[in-house]
Amino acid sequence: MFVLNPQSGTPIYRQLVDQVTRLISGGQLTPGTELPSVRELAELHAVNPMTISKAYTLLETEGLLERQRGKPMRVATRRRNQAPLAQRLQQLEAAAAELALAARQLEIGKKELLTLVGDQWEKENG
Amino acid sequence: MADPTVSVRDLTTWRDSKAVLDSISADVLPGDIIGVLGKNGAGKTTLLETLLGFSRPDRGSVAVFGEDALHLSAAAKARIGFLPQQDELFGMLNGRQQLAIVAAFHAHWDHALIERLTAEWTVPLTRRIDSLSVGERQKLGVLAALGHHPDLLVLDEPVASLDPIARRQFLQQLFAIGENERRAVLFSSHIVSDLERAANKVWIVKDGRLHWQGELDALKESVVRLHIRSRAPLPANLAAPNALATRIDGNTAMVTVTQWQPALADTLASQFDARIDVEGLGLEDIFLELHR
Repeated sequence: MFVLNPQSGTPIYRQLVDQVTRLISGGQLTPGTELPSVRELAELHAVNPMTISKAYTLLETEGLLERQRGKPMRVATRRRNQAPLAQRLQQLEAAAAELALAARQLEIGKKELLTLVGDQWEKENG
Repeated sequence: MADPTVSVRDLTTWRDSKAVLDSISADVLPGDIIGVLGKNGAGKTTLLETLLGFSRPDRGSVAVFGEDALHLSAAAKARIGFLPQQDELFGMLNGRQQLAIVAAFHAHWDHALIERLTAEWTVPLTRRIDSLSVGERQKLGVLAALGHHPDLLVLDEPVASLDPIARRQFLQQLFAIGENERRAVLFSSHIVSDLERAANKVWIVKDGRLHWQGELDALKESVVRLHIRSRAPLPANLAAPNALATRIDGNTAMVTVTQWQPALADTLASQFDARIDVEGLGLEDIFLELHR
């Protein structure tokens, strides 16, 4: 469900927070969906459970996840006001910067790049 | 906050008129899994041994569970598990006999745990220890260090000779230990990818000093590499604040900085009329950059 790369320059907890946030704003993770337990995720990815727990706690503070007594964390059921567009766009900034850099290195123009992104968008949204 | 498990203050040790430990101060807190990194000869082993009171520092002090490390009570010693770099297993015994001797020293030896791990890690118990492979011997050493559920587990290069599967099993055991918030683990290793999975904190030892200590996450957020691309040639004396390394090549430059703040990118961009791309670094790269 998640791609965690311990060797990345981005801390593991940050990778998890970003992915959960994206999946929730994208609607793939719907309200009430239960997430894997800290232990399950830590074992699956062979990472320190503390780092998973840190990510979950942060997501809980942000109101994206809620803790249930004796059960796994789940996506918050209370209908949240959607974050403002600017804030959602901000989450894409890093990915956009990376894409733009790669395009520049390949000497791909803005128009071609935008077409590519547009095509990909069509594919994703069927 | 909980009392520190280990409290190191101004630790200094001289050898042949060179400081092998130089003014080291640090704490190990309950719940910590600390990875100790350093080049060969940087002082890791001396640090770990001095920490446990095996050698007397020339200056400074160490407290373990609040007691002077040089005069630990039997009760405090019973709460420590230690695997030295050169293990102290008896070559003429077999694994079962060796573990029985260690177990006899501890009132609360967890026979069930050790039996389970012996099977999972495929440690041969019936062969003489001096006939075991280096890796098998290392696994036995780790078992001997943790069977009494120490509150402080110190491992000097515990996985150097283990294969990837055994290393993964070892990490899982570290996590199981870490689940108990009373316990602390301190381990040195050159296998940086293991440290990245296991450690919540990192100590980087360089020339006898603790060159960096703190949370691994904070280290990764602090040290980044900036790629600067300007329209004009960059000045040869380009100096970014907190730069660790600077390489300038015509219109472009690569600068590794610590204490990274996003605002720095804007400052540099306007200062040099340049584009700034920020690259996060893995621990191995950070380690190398800190040694330039």
